[in-house]
Amino acid sequence: MTDQWRLIDMRIENAPTQMAIDEAIAMARLRYDTPNTIRLYRWNPSGVSIGYFQNIEKEVNLPNCKKYGVDVIRRITGGGAVYHDYNGEITYSLVAPENDPKMPHDILESYQVICSAIIHGLKYIDVESEFKPVNDIIAGGKKISGNAQTRRHGVVLQHGTILVDTDIHRMFEVLRVSEAKISDKLIKAVEDRVTNIRRYLDTDISFQEVHDALVRGFEETFDIELVPDELTREEDDYVKQLYDKYTSKEWVFQR
Amino acid sequence: MKAEYKIPGGKLLACTVETQNDVINELKISGDFFMHPEETIGKLERAILGSKVTDYPDRIRGFFKNTKVTLLGVAEDDFINVIKIALDAQ
Repeated sequence: MTDQWRLIDMRIENAPTQMAIDEAIAMARLRYDTPNTIRLYRWNPSGVSIGYFQNIEKEVNLPNCKKYGVDVIRRITGGGAVYHDYNGEITYSLVAPENDPKMPHDILESYQVICSAIIHGLKYIDVESEFKPVNDIIAGGKKISGNAQTRRHGVVLQHGTILVDTDIHRMFEVLRVSEAKISDKLIKAVEDRVTNIRRYLDTDISFQEVHDALVRGFEETFDIELVPDELTREEDDYVKQLYDKYTSKEWVFQR
Repeated sequence: MKAEYKIPGGKLLACTVETQNDVINELKISGDFFMHPEETIGKLERAILGSKVTDYPDRIRGFFKNTKVTLLGVAEDDFINVIKIALDAQ
């Protein structure tokens, strides 16, 4: 019989809420025997997330974030800085126990398996992509998705970004990729390394189409049925507690 | 002192180090690598603090020998290298 996993579908929230929800689901998974869960979501307002180990001043142009009303958050996962453009990006997250038969014990292998669901889904919208270790998915040689994983509370939590139509100019106004000012030349160099679905396809595509493709990718790759549902009361309580952490200076500015 | 080090494979490792009388008394490591569990980074930094500028590689090796940690996109020697670059820049 096909396993049922929970789908928390397309919640639109601010940065601290989104990160609190991902961590809350991970905390509750074994403690309250909640289901394995996939989330698809968008950030409103747009946000920057940085990896657990990153130096915030070095990675983020804080004055520009303030100017444009972009939230800045530190993740519990390692990896790099991401611009979560409300109008151009879908984030996913996955929570499953470390000992789930569908989850490889080896971390790199589990990246590959989870990313293969994204890659499989993208095929349904004619995006041919491949896994690039450690944690990227590339299409046409350019990055189209970045992913990050942590293991705690006995579970795997992986979240990642799928670039749909990200404003790359704004991306490099809020991220510090180089000390150089944002010039057309720099943007060109970045365009050579980063792409998004609309640019790759050279055609308009809706969030709904990308969403449906990703749902199908997860369902078929993991041989599961995704059942839309909400957070449990315990998870909502965790979200409230974790929100304070994610908005605290001690957390966000810790390095 | 600051140093940035591009790890073979693509990740970035950076650090700021301060010394007094050849002893490391401030250290912050950063980058876009992965370390599981993540909190181990603070323990690694604390293990290096107080070390002589000649002894920190042994401290780092000793730390990883005695600590259960999984590294991805970074290796033990990269931490030694980035601190060496910062100290050499003094």
